[in-house]
Amino acid sequence: MKPLLGLAVFGALWELAPRLGVVPAQWAPPLSRVVRTLLAEAREPRFWSAVGDTLVTWALGLGIAVAAGIVVGVVIGAVPVLRTATASTIEFLRPIPSVALIPLAVVLYGVTMTSTLVLVVYASFWQVLIQVLHGVADVDPVARDTASVYRLPKIRYLYWPTALPYVATGVRLAASVALILAVTGELVIGSPGLGQQIAVAQSSGAVSLMYALVLVTGLIGVGANILARFAERRALAWHPSVRREVPA
Amino acid sequence: MRRHLAALALLTLLAAGSACSSSSPNTPAPAPGQPEKVTVGVIPILDVAPIYLGKQKGFFSKRSIELELTLASGGAAIVPAVVSGQYQFGFSNVISLLLATSNGLPLKVVCNGNNSTGVDGSDFAALMVKADSPIKTPADLAGKTVAANTLKNIVDTSVRASVRKAGGDPKAVKFVELPFPQQPAALQAGQVDAVFVVEPFQQAVLAQGGRKIASSYVDTAPNLTVALYFASQQLIASKPDLVKRFTEAMKESLAYADGHPDEARAIIGTYTQIAPDVIAKMTLPKWPAEIDRKSVQTLADLALSDGLLTKTADINTLLP
Repeated sequence: MKPLLGLAVFGALWELAPRLGVVPAQWAPPLSRVVRTLLAEAREPRFWSAVGDTLVTWALGLGIAVAAGIVVGVVIGAVPVLRTATASTIEFLRPIPSVALIPLAVVLYGVTMTSTLVLVVYASFWQVLIQVLHGVADVDPVARDTASVYRLPKIRYLYWPTALPYVATGVRLAASVALILAVTGELVIGSPGLGQQIAVAQSSGAVSLMYALVLVTGLIGVGANILARFAERRALAWHPSVRREVPA
Repeated sequence: MRRHLAALALLTLLAAGSACSSSSPNTPAPAPGQPEKVTVGVIPILDVAPIYLGKQKGFFSKRSIELELTLASGGAAIVPAVVSGQYQFGFSNVISLLLATSNGLPLKVVCNGNNSTGVDGSDFAALMVKADSPIKTPADLAGKTVAANTLKNIVDTSVRASVRKAGGDPKAVKFVELPFPQQPAALQAGQVDAVFVVEPFQQAVLAQGGRKIASSYVDTAPNLTVALYFASQQLIASKPDLVKRFTEAMKESLAYADGHPDEARAIIGTYTQIAPDVIAKMTLPKWPAEIDRKSVQTLADLALSDGLLTKTADINTLLP
């Protein structure tokens, strides 16, 4: 229960700081008031449709990024020539912040979910790709020779099992990045979702509601991480890194 | 080879985007009697209450317009979306539109948006200071810092007009960019000496004891036109009938909202999250159906003398 202790301390600080006047309560309301606003907002259909929009943008963007990252990663990683040829291009494109592409996305797709989706896919694709590339490069030479001798299909028996733990890490990293970009896109571009609701609350001076919505994005992030970890353990039940975590 | 793939992907993206953007304004006109779908980009502020009210009252549907209002975070996102045809119409302030047209963007105004109340001391926007501030008039702002939501736009232009009117030196005022929602707290904390806020943040500053020292929109011009509804020149050329119907519906909406402030207040509660007690207290803008051309000319002149525009803007190319 130690992880919850940290959360409890954070919650207590949030509650006390405005109450003790450390920060102005008008602009940073205490946690209890934010939670009450959240409970009231949760009765509104617009809240749930915003949550739904954000989740759809997140899941769709993550799905596209993971699928593309795995396919591109395995193909590039398995062919040494491709790997050498693309290394510099990847290193050039990868650090470009997704948000820098907002003007391009808006001109192409307007203030729509597609614009936000472009950002989400762009940001999370690299997380997966880099992990897959490292995973494929990590193939054990003995396993490689064995697979050659027995003429086993290389992707199924060699690259995939080796890369899988890396893929799992990539997916978990991408899941958080995708959520960050989904909310950022909605907030800055104004496509439907929680980010847009945060922007509306902000421009209406509804401070408590704004924090309530921010809290929800945090909760979704925690949920996404738990889900990704659960999937990781299921997929890698055989892997030493996961097996070791099981108490003897 | 893969080196070119990314470039190829980007090209496909651009092609797909431009194909879809160029196709949307040219979609075939719907069959007679079928309502035409129209998307308008607006901002979640009280200025756009008439279009929401007009939609509710059926002013658009009775002219065969199926109105879809899309909230954008600011005018900066609306202008490109209108130019590329994602939106048929958009809402933006006068200076932003003057700047956009001076940069060669093919925009044209179709209808008035909103105006200042014209009443000094009782407008929907105000230049405000802290309760205990030594600043009494805009002339005292020399060497002081004023928060503006966007630099080189309608706010600093108007504030400079107030300073000039009070006999101060407009060049001596320093502006810092700060979004409206953060201005009341920044003023209270002493990070800035004065703020220029619109409703509902005027009420927030008043609630913390702040004082109005000027109604800058009123100081700029009597009945200043603050914002306008606009379309791309392409849409105006290709669908003159739609533009005419939209303009008629918009004028009816403006006149209705201006005559029924209580209904305007009620509709503001539906698309914003402003607290009901604040909505009841807010000063609403004026919503005349016609553009105050003289005030637009004043803004264009001020934008030129303040250096926002590099050459004289012909307001007749922007206005209908």
